[in-house]
Order: sequence, then C-alpha cells, then structure tokens
Amino acid sequence: MIGLAFRLELHRSRVIAVGLAIVVLLYGGLIAALYPILLANTAMIEDYMKLFPKEIMAGFGMTGSLADPGIFFTTYIGSFLWPVVAAIAAIVLATRPSAADADRGWADVVLATPLTRSRHLGAGILGQVVVLAALAFVTVGGVLGVGALVGAGFDTGRFLAAGGVLWLFGCGMAGVTSLAAVITLSRGAAAAVTAGLLIAMYLLNIVAQVQPDLAWLGGLSAFRYAGVGALIDRGTVDWVGVGVFAVVAVAGWAASLVLFRRRDLLP
Amino acid sequence: MPEAIELRGLTRWYGKRRGVIDLEADVHEGEVFGFLGPNGAGKTTTIRMLLGLIRSSSGAARILGLDPWTDAAALHRRLAHLGSDPGYLGDMNAASLLDYLGALRGLPRGAWRRFAERLELDPSVPVRKLSRGNRQKVGVVQVFMGREPLLVMDEPSTGLDPLMQREFLALVAEARAEGRTVFLSSHNLPEVERACDRVAIIREGRLVKIATVVALVGDHTRSVNLVLGSPAPEGAFALPGVTVLSSTGQDVHLMVRGDVNALIGRLGDLDVRDIAISTPDVEDLFFRYYEGTVAGSEKRDLTPEQPEVVHGEAPR
Repeated sequence: MIGLAFRLELHRSRVIAVGLAIVVLLYGGLIAALYPILLANTAMIEDYMKLFPKEIMAGFGMTGSLADPGIFFTTYIGSFLWPVVAAIAAIVLATRPSAADADRGWADVVLATPLTRSRHLGAGILGQVVVLAALAFVTVGGVLGVGALVGAGFDTGRFLAAGGVLWLFGCGMAGVTSLAAVITLSRGAAAAVTAGLLIAMYLLNIVAQVQPDLAWLGGLSAFRYAGVGALIDRGTVDWVGVGVFAVVAVAGWAASLVLFRRRDLLP
Repeated sequence: MPEAIELRGLTRWYGKRRGVIDLEADVHEGEVFGFLGPNGAGKTTTIRMLLGLIRSSSGAARILGLDPWTDAAALHRRLAHLGSDPGYLGDMNAASLLDYLGALRGLPRGAWRRFAERLELDPSVPVRKLSRGNRQKVGVVQVFMGREPLLVMDEPSTGLDPLMQREFLALVAEARAEGRTVFLSSHNLPEVERACDRVAIIREGRLVKIATVVALVGDHTRSVNLVLGSPAPEGAFALPGVTVLSSTGQDVHLMVRGDVNALIGRLGDLDVRDIAISTPDVEDLFFRYYEGTVAGSEKRDLTPEQPEVVHGEAPR
C-alpha cells in the first residue's frame, strides 16, 4: 500500500522536480561552461574578488582560489544555488503530506482508507528522498556534463560524492521541515521555520568567520558542513558533516512519523 | 441488535471552544442514521472523531466494536467515508482518483464504473475542471464503490441536482437493503426524512433528540384547516389535543396534537366542504429543536405552506 502512496507522491512531485531540475541544469551548465574562462583569467578574477569582504566570500564558500574545482563548485553551487533549491524542494515536498494535505482535505480522504498515517507520511518522506537525490544528481550531472564538453577536467567520482553531500544537506532540511509541518500543520509556518533557520545558519557561519572568538558558533551552522571544496579538491570527506546531515534528516523524519501518528488532524 | 456506532459521553473541546459535549447515541447495524444540525453544531467534529482523525477530550466511541483512535487501521478497512467538501487532487481525473482510492481499499480497477454510469459522471475530466455537483458525484461514487459495512457521509448530496439526489437516495436504500449501516450527516432535511430510519438532532454541540423519523413526525402537531358549509356549533372542537387557533364562521384553523381520530369522528357531524391537513416534516421538527422554543415552532407547524398536505372531503 505504501508503494501506491509513494507512486502518487512521485506523480504529485513531478512539476516541482522537473522545474527545479531545469533550473539547476541550466545554472550548473552555464557555470561549468564559464569555468575554462575563469581558469584562463584566474589572477584577474582573484584581484577583483579582493574587493569584497572576505567574510562574505567565506560565507559563500570562497575560501581559496576559484580556479580550484572544489572551491568553484562550493562557491557557485554548494553554498549558493543548492541551499535555495533544496529549501524550495524541502518546503514544497516536506509540508505536503501533513500540513498541506490536512489543509486541503486530501488527508481526510486518504486517511479514512486503510492507508495509515505512518504509511501516508512515510510515502511522502520516500518521495522527498528520491526527488532530492534526483535534483542533487542533476545538479552535479549538469556541471559534469557541460564541464566535459568544455574540457574542464572535473573529477567525476569526487563530484558525484559531492552530490551525495548535497543530497544529505537537502535531506536534513527536509527532515526539519517535515517535523515543523507536523507540529504546526501549517505550510506557511513550516516554510518560515526552514527559511528562517537557513538564513540564521548562513549568518551564523559568517559571524563565526568574522569573529575568531565566536568561531565555535560555526559548528551550529549547516553551512559549515555543506562545503564540498575539500572533497572535490583533495578527496577528503567531512564525515562529521555527513553524519550531522544524516542524523538531522533521520531524526526529523522519525519524529515527524511519531508525532503525525499521535496528533489531531485539523483542517 | 448489535450497534455499529456507540457514543458514550463523547466530548470534544478545542481549547475553550466547544466542539461537542456528552454525546450519547447508538447507531444500529443495518440502519440509516441521520445526523442533523446546522453549520457549527458539531456534526463534522463528531465525524472526525468517528474516523479517528481527532481524539475526544472525554468519553468514548466504538465503531464496529473498535476504538476509532487506537484501532484506526482496522476500522478503516471496514468503513467508507465521504467528507462534505473532499479535497481531491485537482490534476487527477476522476477515473485515476477513484482507481487510486479503490486500490487503497483493495478494490479492483474500475470498481467505480457502474456507479459513475448511474450518476452520469464523466471519469475522464480532471477533478479541478469538474463543477461542484460533479465533484460531489465523484465522492458519492467513491463511498459506494466498495463493500464496507459502514458508510459515513458528511453532507453527501450537496450540489447534486434533483435527479442525482434521487439516485443518491436509491444508492442509500440499496446499501441498507444489503445490510450496510449508513451514518448520514446533513442539513438537507427532506433527504434525511426520505433516507433515514432514525434521526439525531444536534444543537450547539449537544444531542437534543434521537428518534425514528416516523415517531418524530407522528408525535407532533398537525395543522388542520377546515372550510365548513355552515358555522360550527359552540364547543364543536372541544376535544382532547385540539386547539382552535382561529374561527371566522365557516373557516376554522385547528391545531391537533397526537391522535386525530376524535377530530375525524367529530368532522362527520359537520358540513365540511374542504379540509387541508398539514403534517410537520423533519424540517419543522429540526427547527423546533434547534430554536428550542416550542411556541415558535408551533407557529411553523401551523403555517399553510407544508410539503405534505392532504386535501379532500372529510368523512360525513
């Protein structure tokens, strides 16, 4: 029965998934197409970048040379495009089975059938996992594909591994959003929680980089763990980051499932 | 008779706001049970508790012997539900939607087809493009297409045209003939009167009356308008349960409570040219209980525009 619900979940996700996939594909492809130009003009671009506060640059993951594929990818994708895309996907997908479906009355329709609450929400969570994985793959695939065409020389294996980190980052957001949606049963409130957390963590990461004595605050920010520069450039996996995202995602979803089974469903 | 639904002191508060209070009722297996009340009376709150979508604040409900909150999964295999404004997915067409909901209930593909044909529903149209009435048809098809022993419906015929309302009533009658129990929340009073064996009236969250439709209608007053060939003698209508509301010589307006035989016997002694007897319908009774003012409701009972009026010569 969860298979039926899961297939419907994928069907319902097709518009947002395809829309976001086009965005990441076009943007990633464009950025990758520009990489050889950036490589040829590294010195000039780095001089230009010095005009900006380095803390803000660090906030976007620009902690080295843009000529490094890892820094390049983190700067334009990992710390910029992906958090926005993943947040949109998380908000749309993770609020749907609980808050949005309760609000529109669909939850009343399906939850009066033998489909249990856990299976209904579980199908939604599986949908989030799959759609976020597809989006992460398309994001990395677009960069790799166009990179290959323009001779960027990107390491496929490391980029795919970076895609895995992006996926986990998105899952973490989806887990938190899912929990917020189940608690509030309000798509708006859950979206505000996710967007607010994302902005707060972004600022936290900047503050941690600006003030050395507040560097410990950076550990509270997802952006600290979202950088994949070291992974792409040196093959170093940030297992702490991977673990944090995985734990947040699983804990958020698990708590969502428990609470959703126990709470009143009010339209 | 086994009970399909048992409510024992069922109460629900939303913070300090009243949902329903201390509902006590039994719905027998195989009966069609009407649940009457205006918006805000607590009908939907009651149904949401019956479905296990919300918990009660106190009291208990047993549906087909199961607790709707703790045994929801088992219960939902044995009931079908139609909400008052079901939030169907707009981009699915009716066929896909009904196949999906049917599959969740273990029904084969196309189990909905013969019901859709009866209700003249085009299954190929996306739900978002359907009119209110056609969306409601999807709901009616959805609730009847299975074999569940209990059907719970909230305002099921809203938006249906008269022909389709008749078809809906036929489906309810068939369900009853098959021994299925129907719990029908409505403020379509004629529909309740025609479909239901018993009726509960809910007012401001409390049940104020549960009775058979026959008893509910039969126990109440009738309005009798007489046109006489000559004025009635003094005291001609001094009978038990009969009150003369107005008398202008040959036109007499009476209110009769309970047994009408004594009045009919007396009319045989009079020169009656015409008679109109109005029996109260469920709507009158509903307003009686809802308004809570007997005097006010008696005025309603005595209005001449009643749907069930018998015209004819009185016995001589």
